[in-house]
Amino acid sequence: MTVGVVPITDAERQQRVAKAQRLMREQKIGGIFLEAGSSLDYFTGASWQPSDRLFGLVLPAKGDLVWLVPAADEKRAPAGQDVRLWQDDPFPRLAQMLKDRGIASGTLGIDERARFFVFDGIRRACPALEFTNADSVTAGCRMYKSAAELALMQRASDVTIAAYKAGLATLREGMPQNELQNNIHAAYRALGYPGYVSVMYGAYTAFPHGSLTPQKLKLGDFVMIDDGCTVEGYQSDITRTVIFGKPTDRQRQIWTLERKAQDAALAAAKPGAPCEAVDIAARKVIEAAGFGPGYKTPGLPHRTGHGIGLDGHEWTYLVKGNKTPLAKGMCFSDEPTIAIYGEFGVRLEDCFYMTDDGPHLFSKQSPAIDQPFA
Amino acid sequence: MQITSDTYAQRVAQVQAAMKEFGLAAVVIEPGAAMQHLTGVRWGRSERTFLVVIPAKGAPAFVVPGFEEERAREMTPKGADIRVWQEDESPFERVAQVFQDRGVTTGRVGMEESLRFFILHNLKKAAPKMEYVTAQPALKSAGVNLVEAPRRRP
Repeated sequence: MTVGVVPITDAERQQRVAKAQRLMREQKIGGIFLEAGSSLDYFTGASWQPSDRLFGLVLPAKGDLVWLVPAADEKRAPAGQDVRLWQDDPFPRLAQMLKDRGIASGTLGIDERARFFVFDGIRRACPALEFTNADSVTAGCRMYKSAAELALMQRASDVTIAAYKAGLATLREGMPQNELQNNIHAAYRALGYPGYVSVMYGAYTAFPHGSLTPQKLKLGDFVMIDDGCTVEGYQSDITRTVIFGKPTDRQRQIWTLERKAQDAALAAAKPGAPCEAVDIAARKVIEAAGFGPGYKTPGLPHRTGHGIGLDGHEWTYLVKGNKTPLAKGMCFSDEPTIAIYGEFGVRLEDCFYMTDDGPHLFSKQSPAIDQPFA
Repeated sequence: MQITSDTYAQRVAQVQAAMKEFGLAAVVIEPGAAMQHLTGVRWGRSERTFLVVIPAKGAPAFVVPGFEEERAREMTPKGADIRVWQEDESPFERVAQVFQDRGVTTGRVGMEESLRFFILHNLKKAAPKMEYVTAQPALKSAGVNLVEAPRRRP
């Protein structure tokens, strides 16, 4: 499923940098420092893994990007850009880079995932600076997806549905959960994109993040599969809960309730509504059936959804207390789990993006307890 | 994966002795090599804060996302002090409460070196009187393994 995928262009990355610079000027931030990670990737296309050797970028409010690169990795430095190599101590070099971009005093935003020793080194080398979380700038850009990003996320979602279809077609009595997992991983490889799935059966479906306990599939078990794949860095995240064999009335009842909660969340995702409205709507359906209240189990023990993009979980969140208005380009999961410890859990998860007209699903919801795909 | 209660007690005591030497009132550790060595807990990092706080005196406390409490109890040492935070609550308020409960009111708090900036940034707001410094020399001196195993999956 790799045909027709269009990677993010350099022109789009330049627009992202320009927007970040505008946000920095509005917020009176002189620049941001990014370590290797998804935000660095977002603005530059450099997908490095953080290592002991510090690799980073200064994105100044004004002027060109400046790269901090270990001398040992000189060959990997981006061509045609302002690259500063460091040998023994990266921080004096970084202080100079900041000075060169006019960030000798004032506020520097720090990558939310920068490690403590990195921040500690910067504050020692730049005692006149004040520091803030760079997420007001990075999330301020990344939360709102472009058409090109939505297309990549759509492809990731389509690939995951295809891999799940292939995997669930192999279900058989006695199947260990890691066999189903391997089958889905194999399907991902065949489809051309790396993916991961967690698999739970029966009572273990109540654990939101699964269990390592070896399980074998029995007739009457719920099968839950969750997670996704990556297309050009962009993630999918889909959960299906499907019955193996004949469902009991109780299973049917809870599955139907879960689907209603998922529908209610989606219906509440109106442009301009606060993010928390989506969580409140889903929780209301589940509480009305006698579960909860709040995060209490049996019931919905977590928020209804998370943002998604280059990271599987990213800002912003469909959670009580989040007043951020829903706006065009935001992407979320819709996954109000019903967890009944000792019995089972049901989670239906599909992701959606906001348009001016309302939410638009990346994947079609599961129509029935024995029908994971529309 | 779990370590025995004796090993746990011994390793915590070693860290607390080192903290005394290095002048730390508490140490804060995210999931990773140091947490695993010290407590036996192997946990994946995510946007949801999961920490162990080791005070200079008294028992460590774990700060854990509410819906992960069951899974956390399976992994943490028996009888561990676990403080849960729900999705609309602040884990940093929980850390501040641990500080207060263990008499950590002023002085220096050591941060394990790989702890992420947003945790430090929010903790500073929740417990502004403390000074936040590196925990690495104390952890090294206490023999805590600080080398990350290769990552299995992102």
